[in-house]
Amino acid sequence: MLDSLLSILITGAMISALYALIAIGFTMIFGVGGVLNLAHGALIMAGAYVFVILNRDVIWESVALPRLLVFPLAVGVIGLASYGLYAGLVRYIEDDPVITFLATVVVATMTTEIALGIFGDQPYAYTVVRGQASIAGTSVSYNDLAGFVLSWIAIGLLWYYITQTDGGRSILAASMSERGAQLTGVDLHSVRTRTWLIAGGLAGLAGIFLGGDQAATPLMWLNPLALAFIIVVIGGIGSIKGSIIAAYLIGYTETLTVSMLGQSFRGILSLVILLVVLFLLPQGLYGREYVHE
Amino acid sequence: MSERVRRIGRLRSTVRQTILPPSRRAAARVLSPIDRVLQPGANLFNRFLGSYVGEVTGLQLGLLVAALVALATVPMWAPLFVGNYMRTLAVACIWSIFAMGWDIQSGYTGYISFGHSALSAAAGYTTALLAVNLSPVPSFWVTIPVSILAALVLGLLIGLPSLRLSGPYFSLVTFVAVLLFYRLTIGFSETLGGENGFQAVEVFTWDFTERYYLMLVPMLLVAAALTVVARSNVGTVLVAIRENERAVSAAGLDPTKFKLWSFALSSITMGIGGVLLAHFGGNVDPTTFVVVDRSIEMIAMAVIGGMSSVLGPIGGAFLFVLLRDEILRLWFGHSTRWVMLWLLVLLVLVFARNGLFRWIWHAVGAVGGDRE
Repeated sequence: MLDSLLSILITGAMISALYALIAIGFTMIFGVGGVLNLAHGALIMAGAYVFVILNRDVIWESVALPRLLVFPLAVGVIGLASYGLYAGLVRYIEDDPVITFLATVVVATMTTEIALGIFGDQPYAYTVVRGQASIAGTSVSYNDLAGFVLSWIAIGLLWYYITQTDGGRSILAASMSERGAQLTGVDLHSVRTRTWLIAGGLAGLAGIFLGGDQAATPLMWLNPLALAFIIVVIGGIGSIKGSIIAAYLIGYTETLTVSMLGQSFRGILSLVILLVVLFLLPQGLYGREYVHE
Repeated sequence: MSERVRRIGRLRSTVRQTILPPSRRAAARVLSPIDRVLQPGANLFNRFLGSYVGEVTGLQLGLLVAALVALATVPMWAPLFVGNYMRTLAVACIWSIFAMGWDIQSGYTGYISFGHSALSAAAGYTTALLAVNLSPVPSFWVTIPVSILAALVLGLLIGLPSLRLSGPYFSLVTFVAVLLFYRLTIGFSETLGGENGFQAVEVFTWDFTERYYLMLVPMLLVAAALTVVARSNVGTVLVAIRENERAVSAAGLDPTKFKLWSFALSSITMGIGGVLLAHFGGNVDPTTFVVVDRSIEMIAMAVIGGMSSVLGPIGGAFLFVLLRDEILRLWFGHSTRWVMLWLLVLLVLVFARNGLFRWIWHAVGAVGGDRE
């Protein structure tokens, strides 16, 4: 009993760390631009595949890129892709939430089809870091462990950036009140650029480890997106702290359901929790009211 | 607003000033005689039906009649084309119903639902479950109303609590409703058929012509009914909710009541579509009915046609299904076809937000508009 409890604690922590990364990017974009980026899941999926491409394909004759280089490169590519999505599409339509909603969904489905066209519908299994470790009797792959550690490093850096530097504080300011931020001399355009870059980078990071954990498939955008939804709504749209807490709540709920009821019930309980939270606490744990301007 | 946005705006206004007016004038010169010839018919239409379904100009009436004639005579001209147009158009009729159903709720009230496939799935699964679990299987006259009722019940179950939420929260809950439905079909695969669903539903008929009309007639009836509703006071209130909900409650009307009505109406429409789809192919499974992609397709159809209109979603659905199943199939492979299709949808979203068919409808209506 104690063993299985410990194993739930550890595996839950691993998966929750990735969920937190997914949700933070999603919530930041909503907080700053008021944009619900439904293509966030597609960025996660793209993260896994970009990593696969860079990792698998040789660059010159048989010189593969070293993994230490591939990883930041893949994260950077997804960050840029995320910014490209903003600069190339969202910027022109963000005044209309309905159109933004629909357009980002369409981008997500389009990306799925592109991935299906290139890679086919077979899952592609890979690992970021090979090997297994044993922590307190529970076997944990190095892949998940690296994901967990990097997730907390990324969250720590983000925390430092947002609270301690001017650039980060302007993001925070813009998410509280765009007008107020503008009045105090914040350049909204640069804030949005940075937000989309950061959110994309986090999505890429999460995608790489998620794919390493469960294998990359073109359809892997939907579940992370749904998770991001659930976590963000429970934590409160726009709140990073809420996202982290809700991510761990959902991560542990899922691990519990899977170990108690089986794989096919994965997610049902989280969805139910979400519905309960929405009806009891429509703004989430740390959210503020959605103001439609 | 950045420099590039402004430059694109300038480009757009140049196009608007130098290219569009002459071509519009040329079109008007050709079309306005036709408009004048058809005007007596339009006057007659307006006198008898105008107050129920809205007034039309001569050309608009001509367009409507032409479209109806084209739809009614499909068995005559469809075999002339390469491809299985009889089947595709029948499918398009079903999807028109879905798109209209989505639109009467989301397009009119502005509460965007991502969960409408769950409603059609409720009807489809009820039909399938009745067919599987009861013997002898009750006749259509029993299963069809029961299935539509099931869609309505699920619609109210989703709608009653979630319509209290606003903006993105509402959309999230409806999105979750679909995911929950999907997960339940997997989690309770013994009762709900799991990934493969049911193949037990009795198909209406395999005869192409007969089947086509069995799909077309309900579609037209639904369209007529929804047009009457949309043109009535209810429709006006729904649009008012989208524009300014507070103003509606300030006028002494209860927005929640109207939103619920629109959700109920939409659920019934989705139920009708779901029943037709179940009896069309005979199989009820998560991929045909439940998955989020189906909801997104409905939305795409309604949006490319033109939200908050009845003709828009129909046009959008026919365009979407024809492109998907016939036209793009001629040149592209499976996934390229979808990429092209979504790209088109995206272009319409960005450049013609109000939808293609609404734009055509108004352009046609504007011909000869300032005759006096």
